[in-house]
Amino acid sequence: MIHISAVIVTKDICKVYGSGSIKVEALKKVNIVIDKGDYISLIGPSGSGKSTLMNVLGCLDTPTSGHLYIDDIDVSTLKENQLARIRREKIGFIFQKYNLIPTLTALENVALVMGFAGVENKKRIIRAKDLLGQVGLSHRIHHKPSEMSGGEQQRVAIARSLANNPSIILGDEPTGNVDTKSGIAILKILENINELGNTVIIVTHNLDLAKRAKRMISIQDGIVSE
Amino acid sequence: MFKDNFNLAFKNIRARLSRSLLTLLGIAIGIMAIISLMGIGEGMNVAVTGELNSLSDTILVNVGEGFSIFSRGSIDSTDEYLTERDISDIERIIGIKEVTTQLVGGGILRFNGEDKAVTLTGIDSDIMQIQYSYENLEEGTLLQANDQNKIVIGYKVAYDYFDREISVDGKVLINGKKFFVSGIFGKQGMGGITSTDDIILLSPRDFEKVTGESNIYSATVTVYDVANVENIALEIERVINENHGDDDFASATTMSSILASIQMVLGIIQTVLVAIASIALVVASIGIMNTMLTSVMERTREIGIMKAIGATNKDIMVTFIMEGMLLSITGGLIGILLGVFGSKGVTAVLGNIGPSGSANLEPVISLFAVVLAVGVSMVVGVFSSLYPAWKAAKMSPIEAVRYE
Repeated sequence: MIHISAVIVTKDICKVYGSGSIKVEALKKVNIVIDKGDYISLIGPSGSGKSTLMNVLGCLDTPTSGHLYIDDIDVSTLKENQLARIRREKIGFIFQKYNLIPTLTALENVALVMGFAGVENKKRIIRAKDLLGQVGLSHRIHHKPSEMSGGEQQRVAIARSLANNPSIILGDEPTGNVDTKSGIAILKILENINELGNTVIIVTHNLDLAKRAKRMISIQDGIVSE
Repeated sequence: MFKDNFNLAFKNIRARLSRSLLTLLGIAIGIMAIISLMGIGEGMNVAVTGELNSLSDTILVNVGEGFSIFSRGSIDSTDEYLTERDISDIERIIGIKEVTTQLVGGGILRFNGEDKAVTLTGIDSDIMQIQYSYENLEEGTLLQANDQNKIVIGYKVAYDYFDREISVDGKVLINGKKFFVSGIFGKQGMGGITSTDDIILLSPRDFEKVTGESNIYSATVTVYDVANVENIALEIERVINENHGDDDFASATTMSSILASIQMVLGIIQTVLVAIASIALVVASIGIMNTMLTSVMERTREIGIMKAIGATNKDIMVTFIMEGMLLSITGGLIGILLGVFGSKGVTAVLGNIGPSGSANLEPVISLFAVVLAVGVSMVVGVFSSLYPAWKAAKMSPIEAVRYE
């Protein structure tokens, strides 16, 4: 049964890599329900399957079996371009390694996502500037990723993830590549986003940071527990 | 989104500038070759057309096969000539303005104590000026209306026939009669409609004086109305052939039919040249494909990121095709500029080393050629980036993001 206010529901999701003797079960019958406005930290040791789960939840990867519902849409049956639309409209993804386009400036990186969604150029620039302002980077909008620190790049990545007003923000170790101070600053931004009603899910192996979340889900050998 | 695609493509080209410039150079050379060869071909066409169009009211009548660029029959190969009756019959055809005749016969040319058997051509001075323009002369002048005992000679006659070179105003003997050289034609070689290298032109009166004959090898007919020129040519052929009882005795050739056959040959030459130049373009398009494939490989991670943040396969494809087009169109535009200057350079060089007269060749770069060049570069850009773009678009986002 689907939870009324759930934004993400997984049903027996399995993810298997390889086959035969080299078969690796990264996710084993994962069943979780994530409500609107949740702030969840996903913890687990290396190789436990937390990044795989994030990629499946972010529609970057498809489960081998089972179903994933996002806003009541069974995305496990969708085609590549329909998945692209879900990623564009409903999900904001923040990577550990920022993953900004190296040839574009901060402003262009944020505006590009809105371009995929067909937002008019002028509106995109205004919103991108506003978002970069919200993450404290008004003075860095014309800088390229290579001219910014890790923390700054990650803040650009957060601004980018918010550009199309997605209801779900996924962060795959968003503080993993930055110093502690920047890490806390980034978490605070994410917590503010959560307070505005967005669902925030972050992967982390730092227990202190994980404890700041409203819910903590741990994963071990592909099996989740709360 | 167009602006974003353009921006991404432009910035990527700039980020890999030297590779992009080399790729672009390939296209530029291909387009340059096409533009300049088309320009030179069109220039030849215009030059020939211009010259022959001014003679569009003229019909050349001669014995035998007729006047063709495919067969330049030797004037010595026939001992049959047009008769006075033929000429007066031609004059009676309605619509004819004037008939002038050209006499051909053998003679002995003596200079510097040496004798040479030569072919003499007796021709009215005004016809001479139409058929052999002043531009073909290397030195001196063509004959004037009342000139007597004067000749115009070919390049080989002046410089190769005798141990000593004959110069303008030089004195020679033809069949024992004294003549002065009025003009010498430039070297023509095998090109051109009529080779002037071995020619000796003199007035019809002088011709009769030295040969004692008036063998009419050919006649030049002008008509009042250019529109009737083809019909009159047919009528002339019919009349002469009837006189001699031979369906193939003589032929009457209009300038437009000569023009058509020359244009056909020029067209073939032009097509072959452009086809050869297209090989350069094919190589260049493989260059673009290669550059784009490398670019796709280098940007695997970037493609993954774009997909992860919501780009569709179409968005990715458009970005890469745009990049290929940007390279090829820029290359094409540079190629057009190079082609314009290149064709001028080539014709200038040809003018210096080629036969006389080719110096007047001006390349004609038509709007069609430019539009074609731009169109071809666009098509090359799209086609050569299609496969790399497709390869980029079908990447799995998660694998591409993980790519290091």
